[in-house]
Amino acid sequence: MRVVLSCLATILLAGAATAAEPIKIGASEPMTGTAAVFGEQAKWGADLALSEINGAGGVLGRKLEVVVEDNQCNPAEAAKVATKLLDQDKVVTLLGALCSSATLATMPLIARAQIPFVVSISTAASIAQQSGVGGNTWTFKTNPADDTMAQAMVDYLKKEGVKSLAYMAEDTDYGRGGVPGFADAAAKAGMKSLAPEFFPQGTPDFSVLLSKIEAEKPDRIVGFFLRGDNDNIMRQVEAMQLKIPFTGRIDLHSVSLAVSPGFLEKGGMDHTSAINPYQPDWDDPKNLAFVEKFKKATGHAPLQMGFYEYEAVYILVDAIKRAGTTEPKALQAALKATKYPSMLGATIEFDDHNLAHNNALIQAIEGGKIKFVGMSKT
Amino acid sequence: MRRVALAVGLVALYALPLAGPSEYWMTIAATACAFAVLSQGLNLVYGYGGLMSLAQVTFWGLGGYTSALLAKDLGWNPWATLPVAGAVAALAGVGVGYASLRLSRHSFAIVSLVAALLVQLVARDWQGLTRGPLGIPGLPALRIGAVVFDSATRFYWPMLTFALVALAVMWRVMRSRIGLMLLAIRQNEPLAGSHGIDALAHRLLAIGLSAVLSGIAGGMFVFLLTIVDPSILDFYYTESMLIMVIIGGPGSFWGVTLAAVAFTVVPELLRLTSELRMVLYGVVLVGAMIGLPAGIGGLIARRREKQWRARLA
Amino acid sequence: MTAGYLLQLLANGLVIGAFYALLAMGLSLIFGVLEIVNFAHGEFYMLGAVGGLLLINRLHFDYWTTIASVTVMGACVGWLFHRVLLRGLAGRSFERSLLLTLGLGMVLQNGALYVFTATPQIVRTEFGVSSVLLGDVRFSVVRLLALAWAAVGFIGLYALLYRTRIGQAMRAVAENREAALIVGIRPERVARLAVVVGIALCGLSGAALAPVYVVTPTMGLIFAFKSFAIVVIGGFGSIGGAAITAIALGVIEALVGGTVSLVLADAVAFMAMIVVLLLRPLGLFGTGVRV
Repeated sequence: MRVVLSCLATILLAGAATAAEPIKIGASEPMTGTAAVFGEQAKWGADLALSEINGAGGVLGRKLEVVVEDNQCNPAEAAKVATKLLDQDKVVTLLGALCSSATLATMPLIARAQIPFVVSISTAASIAQQSGVGGNTWTFKTNPADDTMAQAMVDYLKKEGVKSLAYMAEDTDYGRGGVPGFADAAAKAGMKSLAPEFFPQGTPDFSVLLSKIEAEKPDRIVGFFLRGDNDNIMRQVEAMQLKIPFTGRIDLHSVSLAVSPGFLEKGGMDHTSAINPYQPDWDDPKNLAFVEKFKKATGHAPLQMGFYEYEAVYILVDAIKRAGTTEPKALQAALKATKYPSMLGATIEFDDHNLAHNNALIQAIEGGKIKFVGMSKT
Repeated sequence: MRRVALAVGLVALYALPLAGPSEYWMTIAATACAFAVLSQGLNLVYGYGGLMSLAQVTFWGLGGYTSALLAKDLGWNPWATLPVAGAVAALAGVGVGYASLRLSRHSFAIVSLVAALLVQLVARDWQGLTRGPLGIPGLPALRIGAVVFDSATRFYWPMLTFALVALAVMWRVMRSRIGLMLLAIRQNEPLAGSHGIDALAHRLLAIGLSAVLSGIAGGMFVFLLTIVDPSILDFYYTESMLIMVIIGGPGSFWGVTLAAVAFTVVPELLRLTSELRMVLYGVVLVGAMIGLPAGIGGLIARRREKQWRARLA
Repeated sequence: MTAGYLLQLLANGLVIGAFYALLAMGLSLIFGVLEIVNFAHGEFYMLGAVGGLLLINRLHFDYWTTIASVTVMGACVGWLFHRVLLRGLAGRSFERSLLLTLGLGMVLQNGALYVFTATPQIVRTEFGVSSVLLGDVRFSVVRLLALAWAAVGFIGLYALLYRTRIGQAMRAVAENREAALIVGIRPERVARLAVVVGIALCGLSGAALAPVYVVTPTMGLIFAFKSFAIVVIGGFGSIGGAAITAIALGVIEALVGGTVSLVLADAVAFMAMIVVLLLRPLGLFGTGVRV
């Protein structure tokens, strides 16, 4: 009798223990080095989603936990981080890895371990090309591809009567990968493109580059740079009173913060435009609420990485709920069947190459304020 | 006695994956093997040759890119790319070395640093050749017949084998006349020269050898990662190698080998917190320099001295 | 390619070069007197910028008070740095100092990352973005002021080294350490002052450049490598050599970057550095015999 009771007790306790065991998600992000500002945003987004989901009772009765490891934007480190998260922490899904080459190095590892990998920030076209049918069936990409966004931006610029473009891009996979697609779309629209200028990420002084572009007098400068260089460049643009508006893939929110308030109000940055997977200044009520929450938790506004990682956690949780389990194959199938309504208005569905086609925002600065121009399907 | 210990050690190293460690620890083990070769190469050039070379990472990176390009663009068998990788690295090393061996210690260090930065710049911006920051993804794995060395656990065996061979070769050179000559040159170059020792030839040999072995290590490693990008030439690797050689003790074969393994493992053990990890790593370095001024090699040397003294007394 | 444009490029290059010089001179001083490479030099510059950020943005000090305060704080940090970590290291153990400063740099950079986050911070002074037009060339006021501080730094350093006894002692130690010891110069005192001045210069340049660029924990990295190269190319022990090399580098970068491409500017600069060292192994203005 005692034996039976103690067995029962053990089983019940074990059951309770596993039920209480949290669901671990891994996140491989650059937390140090020049890309740290983006890894930081991604972590903040994931943490916010986490606190909301756990506050609402967790998933399948279990709490959610995110284990973040630093991949230093480097494939060799990414390999170590991925194997650690998969082997030691036994995560049920991996998020990341932000930098494209780190993501590409992680893809074969998660395929071999048969654990799903949700990529929400990397931009290299080869990621989606290598995923899905005939390739890596465990990798899912939620952020849109660069060339469809480029086309939408060029269409807008055409309407604005823009005829010539200069290019200023960071010398990373973001810049090097994005510029050719943009130049192609511009050429098809009959716009003249000057030879692109690439600068190393973290360059302090842009006076030379900006003077050079100023001398060539293009209608617009297509920028492919993000927070960090973005702020620095805009500061120096204001200091030299460069009158040529920027466009392309820049961060308008950071632009509005980097220049002095008086300059912005007087229209110094007017006619600046950009297309982005996400921007915090979109005045949709759901977005405003999200931005409030994010600011309260971190003290900073959410950038593209913050929002996309936030939504990636929700997409994942949605898949877990539909699968009813965290068993990898079931999770993979559930992810494939995702029909998640993104806050940006489109439905997240994965195509043949496991790529989602979310909306992208086009915005412009007019009258000193960031105005929402439209959503673009990607 | 020593032979038995060595044999047991070898068996243990080869049997490591069978003891059940995970992909994670095998990745670290493979990395440790690579760094053992790289830092021992730096030890040969610096600890024995007296040249502070900050271009060691270039050999590893050139080897990696050479192998990647040959395998991806020309479809070569990955194994066949390795000797070429080593040769390219050696050529680069001997070329730069020949031009810069008349420089003072500090100037040589700067020339090597600038050369390393230049190579990384080329890797990032000669898009036509290296694909730039996008890197060269989709590299094949090493294989022998039906056995594919794609996982870290499997890759560990060829990497370990190569590391053991490379280390053995370097150990042999260090213990040979060449090694003694190098030490003489390092301690007092004019004096060594007056005895007819050709400093240039010996140092070039050291650079060439370390370059070949580092190049092959780099070539092998990219087949584990399946991608090579300019970050393989990051200064972070130069930092790591310097740490391993200096804490290991320049000129000490075993000290550097131990330090290479230790300092591959230490940054991983510090993964307690992703935010403070690098801060802790810096603290460990500063602490090591204050506590172990002569490095592990110094400890070993002091112990040996004590033993001699005891025996002579 | 107008004359006005080239003039703007030249002016930009001189200004950038002056900024490199400010950092390189401090590094050269420490290098010359203690014979150690300060791998944390870029991080001290970053700390100076962070100091400027805190004083101007949080405590609302004005520009001039901030510059003075951060320079003085830099001197204090330098004193601490020497007292705690560098004592007894001078002249020997090049490697130990290398790793020590490398570790320190890591701690400072990642510590700043932890405390301030990686999000870039903008320092707004009372000058805002007002600029001055000199002929065809436009300069922002904060940039001109930073240039002025570089000049002040150079003049101050020159005065210290050539017009004071302790400065003379520093030059003596830099030229020939053993001989300086023989004539009774106390190495520790000289070393301490060299570090204090060197780090104070870092603080000055950080505070002066914080309003020109943006403040991030990794802002010291790009300057650091160039500074090392400048110090050795300028000539071991020659502060003036470092300053001249720095300005030359800035001008080359600006002219090549502005006429061809920025990437090529870096490549040209690197190749020029290698060529100079191969042709003149002791550096352009090298003094003394170094084996």
